[in-house]
Amino acid sequence: MAASFNRSGPSDLETSSVNDQSVSSRSSNRSVRVAEKERRKNEAEDPVVLALKYFNDVEAGTPVNGNDEVEKQLVLVEKVGYSRGLSPDAISVMLEFAMSLRMGTTLCPRVLKCLIPATTVPQEAVVRAVVWLGVGKIPATTQVLFVKWVLTVFDMIDEKDQLRAIYGFIFNFVTDENLCPFICHLLYLLTRKESVRVFRVRKLLELQSKLGRQPFLLHLLSLYKVFCPELVTLSIPSRMRSGFKNHTSPWKSALLFVQKRNGSQVSSNVSLAVTVKDKTSTRKRKHHHLELPKLSSVVNKPAQTETSSSRKLVPLTQLHSFAQLLENMHRIELPSQMGSLLGSSMALHYLDCVQDESALLRLNFWLGYSLHEEFLFCSDGGASQYSEEVLQFLNRLLSTQHFLQEGFSSSEAFLYKFLTVWDGALYRPEILGLLSNIPVIPSSQIGRLLFEPLMQLFFTSSLFFKCGLIECLNNMLLKWLTWHSVYALEDDLDISLHSHTSINMTLSGFKDSVMELVLFVGRLASVGLQLEGCHSVLLSFVLDFYETACDTFLKYGLPLVLLPPSGVFYPALLASDPVSVDRLAYIMYRYKANLTSAKNQEKVTEQAFHISRQTFREFNSYIAVMANYLWNSRVFHPGMGVQLEKELLLKSNVPEYWTSFDLIHHPAFMSYAIDFHRKCWPGRKDMDLNSIKLSKPWGWYLEYLFTQGFDGLKLFFQGNVRQQKAQGDGQGDSTPTQAR
Amino acid sequence: MERHHNSVTKTPLDRVQRRSKSKSYRQSLRSCLGATCLTPALTTRRLNISRRAPKSHNITEKVNPEQLALMVKTEWQLSYVTPLYQFRHTQLKSYSRQLSAFIAAEKQQGLAVEVEGSHGSFRVSFSVVQGMSEAADDAETVLIQIHLKRLFSRQDEPAKVVWSGLLTCINGSPDYLRSLPKDFTCLPLLCSSGAEGLTSAVKSWFQQTFDCYFGQLEISHTSLQWMIALWTNCQTESAIQFLKMIWTLPVVPPLKVTYTVNGQDAWELWSSVRKDPQKEGNGEDEDENSIDIEEVMRFMQGLKSHFYRHFRLDLSAGKLDQVSTALGSAKCSGMIKISNSKYMISTLTLLTECALLKMPI
Repeated sequence: MAASFNRSGPSDLETSSVNDQSVSSRSSNRSVRVAEKERRKNEAEDPVVLALKYFNDVEAGTPVNGNDEVEKQLVLVEKVGYSRGLSPDAISVMLEFAMSLRMGTTLCPRVLKCLIPATTVPQEAVVRAVVWLGVGKIPATTQVLFVKWVLTVFDMIDEKDQLRAIYGFIFNFVTDENLCPFICHLLYLLTRKESVRVFRVRKLLELQSKLGRQPFLLHLLSLYKVFCPELVTLSIPSRMRSGFKNHTSPWKSALLFVQKRNGSQVSSNVSLAVTVKDKTSTRKRKHHHLELPKLSSVVNKPAQTETSSSRKLVPLTQLHSFAQLLENMHRIELPSQMGSLLGSSMALHYLDCVQDESALLRLNFWLGYSLHEEFLFCSDGGASQYSEEVLQFLNRLLSTQHFLQEGFSSSEAFLYKFLTVWDGALYRPEILGLLSNIPVIPSSQIGRLLFEPLMQLFFTSSLFFKCGLIECLNNMLLKWLTWHSVYALEDDLDISLHSHTSINMTLSGFKDSVMELVLFVGRLASVGLQLEGCHSVLLSFVLDFYETACDTFLKYGLPLVLLPPSGVFYPALLASDPVSVDRLAYIMYRYKANLTSAKNQEKVTEQAFHISRQTFREFNSYIAVMANYLWNSRVFHPGMGVQLEKELLLKSNVPEYWTSFDLIHHPAFMSYAIDFHRKCWPGRKDMDLNSIKLSKPWGWYLEYLFTQGFDGLKLFFQGNVRQQKAQGDGQGDSTPTQAR
Repeated sequence: MERHHNSVTKTPLDRVQRRSKSKSYRQSLRSCLGATCLTPALTTRRLNISRRAPKSHNITEKVNPEQLALMVKTEWQLSYVTPLYQFRHTQLKSYSRQLSAFIAAEKQQGLAVEVEGSHGSFRVSFSVVQGMSEAADDAETVLIQIHLKRLFSRQDEPAKVVWSGLLTCINGSPDYLRSLPKDFTCLPLLCSSGAEGLTSAVKSWFQQTFDCYFGQLEISHTSLQWMIALWTNCQTESAIQFLKMIWTLPVVPPLKVTYTVNGQDAWELWSSVRKDPQKEGNGEDEDENSIDIEEVMRFMQGLKSHFYRHFRLDLSAGKLDQVSTALGSAKCSGMIKISNSKYMISTLTLLTECALLKMPI
């Protein structure tokens, strides 16, 4: 609404005089009082003030014809009006003059046309003028002109309470044939819930039967329907889409000019139009069940509503800005169809606060119905075809869930059924997106509901799907963990098994579910990597997952540490791209941080969770393997994860096979070693990579690698290997530190 | 019946608790699903595998004969309906007015219509069908009729009924019904008959007023087989006269088979596949009359093998499209006609069950 007018800024009438005064102010020690007096005096001499005084005081019945005085004064006012706009007082005076017909009807339109407000329009003036409309003998065209003027400056009227108070009075003018369209528009702007009454509805319907389908009647009635759907009903045809006609032509340009000149922020309601339906919804849709319901107010109110409190409820449809939403937060009436909330971003803000279980259930019924009808019950095979509309629907659902940061239970229930019939290709990104939003599933059910169908899909689908699924499961894990960290914090849960058990899910129940998920991904990834020949893209997604999984304790406060299976560990360690090895090193570094921190906590608090020996043993053996492979050149050493018969290794004719996966000979790092060799010994013709292995160049080589961006390796090295150097076990190379 | 409740329908309600974010190690309502409470999807909902044999109900004594006559003579198109929000059986008068006004407004696009008052040619009436509900949890059945007043009809001429609809719930799963909050009324089955346009107008009014949604309810292959068995089982009490089945076989061009069996013959086959009631008769009396899915399947197998013997055509490859007896007829597209009011309840029980299976949550 028009709010930011500037009272302190002197009206245009005053500015000239004040400026004069400030220039001519001779003595600075004048009292304010005297200055005020002077100002008034100057004002009194201002021609415009004089003109207004004239119009204010002119006696009724003064002739117009041949009256030079009136002509002179009016021209003056017009000049100011068209150039700078009139002050609120000036508008009051001129409006009163025109509408009271003190000098007959001829001047009236001329005066109205120059009523361009500089800042605001005083409400009293408008109210008085409306009263004149009732008593005076104003010609029809002038009456129309006046109402048009009110419509134009509506947003600049300073207050509207008194105008609303005379709603009934204004309403009476609808019977006037000429005024009717404009009065309807004015009423549309003024209508509040309490203004909608049965007798008014009847009157309008009576007019409708007389005048036929008139858009202005229809739009007013449709607003009535928004407030009181129990009184009136109608359905607006799509072609009657436009709102009220723009009645502002006589003032529009002048107003814009004045506003521009004054730099005023006041916006007039020039482009008020009712949007009845958006274009897309008028198109005949193939899938009706995917249409979002229209936001409309409730007809069918609970029995006890007809109390005074319910009168104050604000339908959500009537809120157009976030500020309004906040203002009315406590008395918002939910729409008749909850599904319509998904259609507006503002409604979603409200949905986030809705506590009413029935309301959410309604939403879930609608959503579940739509999804089931589209994907599961369709008899015409509609769902097996790709359609833009379905895509839009799913994306809206996704963005809603993203906004609310949780999934809907009906979409979850739908997914469990849909996964069993899904081909893994139809709307893949969207379905996987929805899937990643599902909340924690109890570990007893997770296998049947999720893992079985997903496993089938995973092993029968392309590499692309495999990557997508791993990514989806990573997101799922992330959301579960985030959820845990938020709620565990809110409940002030200390990290222990003994602390309070929740209503819905205990900490250990949650832990079990997360464990199931991580182990499941481990199984998928191991077999998947094998199937796809350790494809580096798939490996990258798998490592993404483990980057989440390795930090469950430190980052999310979940007392659980689960290591990757060897089916993931070795492919990453022996990968041909250095990035994977580096990321594995980083992951192992984080695992160590988590394990040590858990260990420390175990020492401090008695209640701390217990990490099994097995986990530590496994971790230590991984660390040992990494150190032995990358640093110590002890590949296929007996007692390590991967063992090969000595004869077999000899048969392979690989010279010094035990070095083949150290940082020099590792396929991922060989090129770095060669590069380093060149830089280190530029003159040397024959390349002997083994010379890097010597103590000094080896240190340099590591430094060189770390400068190449292998931070994971660096962290891993610093955390696990270097401190051992001091102990020096005689060979000059390093042994891993072990977590205990 | 209770003992055989195989279709466990867990519902949202036993999961929802008041949400207070400040003190909850749990998920919010929108997505709540935890260890102690399962979503419906977590439990499989299936059709009952055993049901009580239809007893002839003395429904004629309980239900208004006029309403009963309407229900019996009409062929209904079936739909399922999600639970109705804020539906009150006490407000039917006001619903009648609102729906009349809504239809009038739909008919004359762009003309507003007052809700109170008369609305031209269509008049809607809502009424409760007393005496239909069987179980305590069932909501009362509601009958909706749309009358058309002819413009030049005589004053005393009664308005013609052009559309009727029956919203009903007979022996609905108590677990499901009890789980819904008080604000919801579950009448999952809509039987409608009349012009398509009016059906969709009524549906959209219900959607806008009670935030409920309608979907097509087909009668599945298994349900049709159930109907055959249930009807045949009535032979001794009231003759089914004939048992007619229409099958479609997937050959090119599709082969349509109409297979009619004499009522008495069907009954004899049926009694031969029935389990010996004496064997299990030591249980409660109620169970004596229950029918198992195995019996139904045996019966169907008997019918099919008989057909095969004569025509060398195995019907199990085909699809059962339609069944009819003197007691009623049912089509897989979701059309049903109940010709004998005595067995209406058992048929509607089966259909209510089918409709509840379609509930999204």
